[in-house]
Amino acid sequence: MIVLSINGQDTQVDVPEDMPLLWVLRDVLGLNGTKFGCGMAQCGACTVHLDGQAVRSCVLPVTGAVGKKITTIEGLNATDLGKRVQQAWLGIEVAQCGYCQTGQIMSAAALLAAKPTPTDADIDAAMSGNICRCGTYVRIRAAIKQAATGQLTLPQTIA
Amino acid sequence: MKIGRIIGTIVGVVVLIAIVFTAYALITVTHGGNEQATQPVGAGVPVDLPTTMARGEYLTRAADCEACHTAPGGQPFAGGVAFKLPFGTIYSSNITADKETGIGDWTDDEFVRALHAGVDNKGQPLYPAFPYTSYTALSRDDIVAIRTYLASLPAVHAPARPNELSFPFNQRWTLSLWNAAFLKKERFQPEQGKTEAFNRGAYLATALGHCGECHTPRNHGFAMKSGKALAGAELEGWRAYNITSDKEHGIGAWSDQELIDYFSKGHAAGRGTASGPMGEVVGYSLQYLTPSDLASLVAYLREVKPQQGSAAPAAAAAAPTATTASASPGEQLFVGACAGCHLESGQGRQTNYAMLTGLRSVRDPHATNLTQIILNGSSLHVGGQEVFMPSFGRAYSDAEIAALSNYVVSHFGGQQGTLSAEDVAKRR
Repeated sequence: MIVLSINGQDTQVDVPEDMPLLWVLRDVLGLNGTKFGCGMAQCGACTVHLDGQAVRSCVLPVTGAVGKKITTIEGLNATDLGKRVQQAWLGIEVAQCGYCQTGQIMSAAALLAAKPTPTDADIDAAMSGNICRCGTYVRIRAAIKQAATGQLTLPQTIA
Repeated sequence: MKIGRIIGTIVGVVVLIAIVFTAYALITVTHGGNEQATQPVGAGVPVDLPTTMARGEYLTRAADCEACHTAPGGQPFAGGVAFKLPFGTIYSSNITADKETGIGDWTDDEFVRALHAGVDNKGQPLYPAFPYTSYTALSRDDIVAIRTYLASLPAVHAPARPNELSFPFNQRWTLSLWNAAFLKKERFQPEQGKTEAFNRGAYLATALGHCGECHTPRNHGFAMKSGKALAGAELEGWRAYNITSDKEHGIGAWSDQELIDYFSKGHAAGRGTASGPMGEVVGYSLQYLTPSDLASLVAYLREVKPQQGSAAPAAAAAAPTATTASASPGEQLFVGACAGCHLESGQGRQTNYAMLTGLRSVRDPHATNLTQIILNGSSLHVGGQEVFMPSFGRAYSDAEIAALSNYVVSHFGGQQGTLSAEDVAKRR
């Protein structure tokens, strides 16, 4: 039996030691908010927090998460910062198809926890591993800034 | 006429010497050296051996038998691991207690002789991929303890895979000649005037851990160059780094704690992460060493004669170089495919093990180990967890992997990467 701390709750799972954390979250525990994209840490859709760091759960063997605090999109609203990010995402209406947004939001929340007022370069660096096929990048940047400042931010437009 | 006679005499003498040498080699091949030697200082198990671990199990782990005798996904110690050598492929043998296909029928004396002389229970020479050249220094007591532990494990029926060697390397008797020329059948001798920790470390590094089998360069006869101990070598596509006490080329600049972290966790921040064959050494062997043995191993390595490894990358620490205005193809690949786990700064995010800065593998202009890891991925089993990187060999072309490797080497290692697509193709 492996014990995981997920969204503040200790959870027991009976899975092979090398099973990716994403499989455990989705297929064993039914936490389907975290998405499967590429399965090889290339797209960012499966991003969760491990002790506050954004990691790709599709290539993280479950034993690598033992003893650490796992936060998924389902548990993000437990912090003020998490709530602010969610509000900003809603306010800006970032999502288009939405599939990558779990990962985008988790990466953004980890960035803001480490750097409360990120520069554009900080955002580029932290978000570079999260791919959005719909091209919502401009709105993602605006939402991160809105969550950081608390002020309404207009997405950059082509002037 | 006269010249003809001189040549005839010389040929005759050479043939005679060859016959005498061959006879000597064949007669002595099954001799193990002094079998009556008492247990030397430095041999055995450490005082802080956990009570839950048998003597033989500890020694078996310290001698790292499992890495070579367990095939990927196979039963422990059942053999079948392929060793690709310049003259063909050989497969490790089944050393479980199975009577038919393993070593269940061997006597203790035969097992001791195998490690001391490099011959099987019938007296047939074994190939020196089996590191009897190092194990010959093991004490009899320790070998018998290993044997007892192996015999206590489940017997696995697994017939040996026949070796695929070209002539004359498929002639086992010729190894008698090699042994006569290169194998010193001598037991470990503690060095007088050195500390107990040094001597214990020497026994761990040479007789048990056989570090030199990978880390010491070999001569034209494929025997370890004793004057170049642990100066670094390349084998099976991987570079075994210079681990002498040289500060620039070896590990002289590492702190004690960094060395201990590397041995016990497979990772020393800013220094190195164990991958490939060394990852197996950490996973199967080094992580189980007790604190006192780790300290002894460090004490020994500190005194290994410094060597300037020929192909060893210089240790000059390099800060990531500034990015140019337009991203190179290598940088684009890194940002897209690697930065998700390693971060653009190379500091690593996915796990501590994902840190790239400071590693020797990113300072090697030939990017030997770097390309192996990119092509094949990496998997390290340590401390009850698996540290894992997927392989990218099938996802990217030779040219892309060359560009990526050169970018990593220049950006994180401050070296001029020289890899071409052809180089990568050869390493696949």
